[in-house]
Amino acid sequence: MPAITREVRTGETQKVGDYEITPTTNLLSIKLPGYHAGLIWNRPKAVIVKTPDGQEKILRVRDVTRLMIWSMLAGGIIGAIMIGMMYRNK
Amino acid sequence: MTDEMETTSEVDSGLEMYQDTMEQFLAAADVRVVYGEPIQHDDTMIIPTAEVLCGLGFGVGSGSGTGMDEHTDKPSRGIGGGGGGGGRILSRPVAVVVASPEGVRVEPVVDITKIALAGLTALGFMVGMMFRMTSHRRALPQIEE
Repeated sequence: MPAITREVRTGETQKVGDYEITPTTNLLSIKLPGYHAGLIWNRPKAVIVKTPDGQEKILRVRDVTRLMIWSMLAGGIIGAIMIGMMYRNK
Repeated sequence: MTDEMETTSEVDSGLEMYQDTMEQFLAAADVRVVYGEPIQHDDTMIIPTAEVLCGLGFGVGSGSGTGMDEHTDKPSRGIGGGGGGGGRILSRPVAVVVASPEGVRVEPVVDITKIALAGLTALGFMVGMMFRMTSHRRALPQIEE
């Protein structure tokens, strides 16, 4: 059994009006061989929407909160480095 | 002999509990955990989505030993077993899928508190660096000519 697996899982299709919605998730699982321990990280990836005319659209589920948190932290670190460089060059 | 049997059954029950817990843990990998039950409101249906992070650790052990009894000078034997574990499940709303006769769209769920905390941390990095640099400048010795 592999220790780290990453896969995309697809759920059951649901019919809403004329649309068919199929949810998909991104799954990361870590199992430590030899130890009774593990970690599962399951997060939404996208919904596949089938329109009445037969077209398929993939709507990505974006985690705006995480995106903003990481952007801010990265901005803070870059800002701190730039401030340090500015003062050092003065 | 009876002690051994009791310990074995205890270990077995511990292992059974471990199996049950592991099964519940693995259930976190299901798609239905991430996508909640659809909520119908007039023509519109809302499907909440969440991120699930689940961690678990477990251990079971048993052992036996022999020794001499101080008072009776007879060999004595002891058997014991035990187990323990811990885990945590974190769940956070990510977005909602809104399906209406006009179409299907994904609306993100924005956690203002977490973003504000990250913003304050980022600001702290910059202000901290600024203070550090200004205090370094003040601490430099003056060169007298």
